[in-house]
Amino acid sequence: MSALAEYDIEPARALIHLENISKTYDAGENAVQALRGVDVEIVRGEFVAIIGPSGSGKSTLMHILGCLDSPSTGQYWLDGEDVATMTSRELARIRNQKIGFVFQTFNLLPRATVLKNVELPLLYAGMNSTDRRARAFEALKRVGLDHRAKHRPNELSGGQRQRVAIARALVNDPSLILADEPTGNLDTKTGGEIIDIFENLAKNNQTIILVTHDPVIAARTQRRITIVDGLIVQGEGLE
Amino acid sequence: MLIFESILDGLRDIKDHFGRTMLQLLGIILGAGSIVTTFSLSVAGKSAAMEYYKVSGGIQKIWVSNHPTGKITLDAKALASQGLTYGDALALRRDAKELDLVSPVANSDMDIRYRTVEKPRSVMGVTPAYSPMNDFRAGTGRFITDNDLTSSARVVVLGTERATEFFGSENPIGKTMTINGTGYQVVGVMEEKYFSFDQKRNVMRWMNRQMYIPITTYVTRKGESPAHGKISFMHTRMRDIQKADAAVDEIKHILKREHGVTDFEVISRVANLRRNEQNNKMYDMTFMICGIISLLVGGIVVMNIQLASFNERVREVGTRKAVGASPAQIFFQFLSESIVVSIFGGILGIFAGKLFTMGIELLLKRPTFITPSTIVNALIFAAGTGLFFGMYPAIRASRLNPIEALRTE
Repeated sequence: MSALAEYDIEPARALIHLENISKTYDAGENAVQALRGVDVEIVRGEFVAIIGPSGSGKSTLMHILGCLDSPSTGQYWLDGEDVATMTSRELARIRNQKIGFVFQTFNLLPRATVLKNVELPLLYAGMNSTDRRARAFEALKRVGLDHRAKHRPNELSGGQRQRVAIARALVNDPSLILADEPTGNLDTKTGGEIIDIFENLAKNNQTIILVTHDPVIAARTQRRITIVDGLIVQGEGLE
Repeated sequence: MLIFESILDGLRDIKDHFGRTMLQLLGIILGAGSIVTTFSLSVAGKSAAMEYYKVSGGIQKIWVSNHPTGKITLDAKALASQGLTYGDALALRRDAKELDLVSPVANSDMDIRYRTVEKPRSVMGVTPAYSPMNDFRAGTGRFITDNDLTSSARVVVLGTERATEFFGSENPIGKTMTINGTGYQVVGVMEEKYFSFDQKRNVMRWMNRQMYIPITTYVTRKGESPAHGKISFMHTRMRDIQKADAAVDEIKHILKREHGVTDFEVISRVANLRRNEQNNKMYDMTFMICGIISLLVGGIVVMNIQLASFNERVREVGTRKAVGASPAQIFFQFLSESIVVSIFGGILGIFAGKLFTMGIELLLKRPTFITPSTIVNALIFAAGTGLFFGMYPAIRASRLNPIEALRTE
């Protein structure tokens, strides 16, 4: 916790605290350094965009933020827990309880109903089926798709599928929603509607990190973190 | 909870890829089927043998027969030995402590006549012990008694077929018939003896075609004194199966003492049974090995399905991991799916086994019997196959890196 004390932001407000994070991929002789000492501070309720060209280390940062990957060096505190050194099992628990993912390609289970898809995080959390069902239904209501609960994903439009994915991300009441190019597979109008949903969630104090290369989408967030060549070059909107 | 979901997933997988699953489950189906067949044959074989033993004197039965020795001996007693005699039976009954029944039998064809019908027929000289020894009683009238023995009475008890042959619908009891020129009074007709392995042929029918007279009458009519009267064989019964070998040794000892030479043979059913069990084990083993090989092949195929479905589902695994499935949860999910699929194969295998056994009953005329424990065994083997061969795909799935998995197209 000493690392946090050096910062101006009080620790209780900081949901995410990344300090001098680096990530090196060891691909034989030519090791690739995807992140080269990144510091990020995000407080509760923030709606942040991470932008940058492809190959900038944007995805790597997103994976580390989402606890899908561990940094090579550096510190990462998420919601008061030191996650940088956690085992894959502990990271699974963190993802399950604190993070909700929204992917560009939706990543819904094709053979399961919409309701079952939304229930999935709760299944791995070990919740009983009655509670699971109720919570999943509640989450579907929030994205306006409760009437499609019994459908399969392939019976829905792209925008609807992404709304199901958002419901799945919301269902475990996460500290952080991490959206990776959530509008990348949608037309402009539908993509705008998805961002509307995120805006509404942000208004209700939901922390959201949006990874995108689309400046129009990024402009709708409160703060933009730009990353180039594994380093953060701009962190506007923090003040 | 998760296990329940995984079982549902497994069943959904069977439903979604029914044809493929069926084809690839053939190994498990055949394996479980041949295990069911083996057990059912073996169980039925054993129970039929036990039934047969029960109706023919039980496994305590020891068979003593003549077995002339080829050896040249100078012993006077040995030279004088004429084979098994009624006296030997009396000696066994007097001296053998491990036996509770001694049933000597003398047997030959004689001329039988009643009124105008005359035919050569098999006649058996027996003692009252014959009835309990062979679990064979008089249906009407009575069997040979001790009184008949001591008085060498001229009485006869008929097997059912002889009663019908000579007397038709007439009641034979009290009638007199001639055996080798001498009159005998019919005092009883035996019950019908029946046992069949295949529900068709009565293997005990020969007993219904006999005529029974006191053994003393049999030998004295031939001009021999009872003690020296030659007999054909003896059935004896041991008191205690645990002491089977002691009983056999005792018989050998007493007869050797009486004869001076070993011109007889003693065979116990316990020894036979032991030998049969050895044979059965070999037989069972052969089938079991066939079953296990089928299961092995089936298991490898199940591993293939799981690997194939694993490759189809890399993204799905990535998604599950992203939303918080731990490696252990993924492992158990995949494992329980292959177990479910294998148990499904096992259930079909039981039906296949039922068909096999029906075929065997029809074509080979061998009895079969599927017991609950057979079914449980087949299911355990099938589930075990799923467990063993599901392990590798499950480990692979559990170790999948979620980032790479999500990137897979």
